[in-house]
Amino acid sequence: MPGGPLSTTAGQSPADVALQLEALLGQHSVLVADMMRSRIRNDADFAQAASTAVTRNTDDLTAVVKAMFGDQAAAAFRGTWSDHTTAFFNYARGLAAGDNAAREDARAQLVKFESGLGDFFAGASQGRLAPDAARSALTAHVDHLLRQADEYAARDYVRAADDYRTAYSHAFGIGQTLAATLLPPEQSAPLNQPSWRLRSELDRLLGEHIALAVATLRAGATDSPDFPAAAANLDKNTDELTAAMGTLFGPAAGQQFMTLWADHIDALVGYTTAVAGNDGAGRQAALDKLRGFEGKLAAFLATATGSRIPPAELASAFLHHDQMLTQQVDAMASKDYAKAHELAYGAYQDMFGLAKQLSVAFGDTVAARLPQGGAETGAGGAAPR
Amino acid sequence: MRWRAVTCAALAATAVVCSAIAAAAPAPPPPAPPPPVSSSEASFRSVRSYADVAEPVRLRIPALGVDSPLTHLGLAPDRSIEVPSDYNTAGWFDGGPRPGQPGPAVILGHVDSKAGPAVFYRLSRLPEGAEVFVDRADGSTIDFRARSTQHVAKTAFPTDLVYAPTLEPSLRLVTCGGHFDHTKSSYTDNVIVYAEP
Repeated sequence: MPGGPLSTTAGQSPADVALQLEALLGQHSVLVADMMRSRIRNDADFAQAASTAVTRNTDDLTAVVKAMFGDQAAAAFRGTWSDHTTAFFNYARGLAAGDNAAREDARAQLVKFESGLGDFFAGASQGRLAPDAARSALTAHVDHLLRQADEYAARDYVRAADDYRTAYSHAFGIGQTLAATLLPPEQSAPLNQPSWRLRSELDRLLGEHIALAVATLRAGATDSPDFPAAAANLDKNTDELTAAMGTLFGPAAGQQFMTLWADHIDALVGYTTAVAGNDGAGRQAALDKLRGFEGKLAAFLATATGSRIPPAELASAFLHHDQMLTQQVDAMASKDYAKAHELAYGAYQDMFGLAKQLSVAFGDTVAARLPQGGAETGAGGAAPR
Repeated sequence: MRWRAVTCAALAATAVVCSAIAAAAPAPPPPAPPPPVSSSEASFRSVRSYADVAEPVRLRIPALGVDSPLTHLGLAPDRSIEVPSDYNTAGWFDGGPRPGQPGPAVILGHVDSKAGPAVFYRLSRLPEGAEVFVDRADGSTIDFRARSTQHVAKTAFPTDLVYAPTLEPSLRLVTCGGHFDHTKSSYTDNVIVYAEP
């Protein structure tokens, strides 16, 4: 398998491709979990749309593997990866039917596929990733997704939500490890720089915001009993995003951000509730609140970053973000699940452009107030050598 | 598309018939009431309380016998970092994260004074895996483990690696080391310990 330097398209560095791999693996986890849950609910139409979204994600992952290792490797990857997503579906089908033999068969298939995928990635890394470590990480990925499915089927929505989030973070983390080991050292080096690490972490948090917001809004749109657990999961992401803002810009800014962000989420849930209840006035009121939020958050971030990002540009990005989320609520309400998935997929991908822009602005803002040079922490000449 | 055009034409013709039927039909029943909305959705409010991390007040490194209160450090007028005025007390750079917050928290201490060893005298010998405890003002403690130690010339100090924001909680301990330049009363190097929770 060729494992030389990655040739990339114009404007995209190897490190950009590596971050794309992280994001796609995180998204894979969410889409597979959604597909399994719809199969458990015997919601055939939703399962069909979810399965199409999983296939789209597989296509995108295959394109990244192709960019890194060429056509032959991409074809080999795609085959095993598709088999692995099918096995997840079969596990959920066994779960829904109470067919333990089918479940165990799917689990055994998954163990086999993960072993093959672990060997694939270890081989592609040219010795930088140990096969055991790769297999172990992928086996944990399977465990998370199967566990959340078991819990969801048992209506233990709190644990299912917890594992849904763990599965996302873990899959994103697999992406981070793969990104660091699949590329030759000269191409992966930027990933260790603080600016790239900040961008990767913002990718994870903002991508998770979309995944958990979509899960919450879908539960709200269908008045599903897992709504409280899904919403509590979204709160955890809000806590983490707020902690990031607090550490970058101070506690007062952290609180200010959290209030704005909470207003945003409340308006999205309010919109969903209004759509579910055929409440036209409530729907419009929620949209009005969202339009207000978009301007306020853009102004807040422009101030926090010393106008490093134009507020109009930010407000436009947030408007687009909110429109995709509200439109996918509309699509859910009208049972157009294909459109709902397409919009959610796009909303997830959009977050990474925003994370890139924010990470540069945040990094530059903080860098401007950092100490310069070393520290004068000695005066005697007797330091141990 | 031919098939689609034919279908649309047929639908248009049907619409005329439907309109005629509608005109003759009795008034439609009133719209159904909206479906009930679950109280959990209607009453949902997103989390709004920012959970601040308390300021660090004490540093403990059992492997080195260090147990020191922490002073606050900022920037000197020349934009270099301030250092503790007391050689036996460590200091936390309060322009960066608090220990346990996302990002790198930085604590400095002197290696020695003209009178002898200071609080970070043996920092360069801190073994990998050694525990570093930071006590905070709210009574909580966060535990870090030393992961690596770096000796660097002050002229090539890795500002980015030590201070620049990431969102991974971590701790950097900084002191002096290397050759001592008696003409400047200054060491040529810094010693940096990188620690993680």
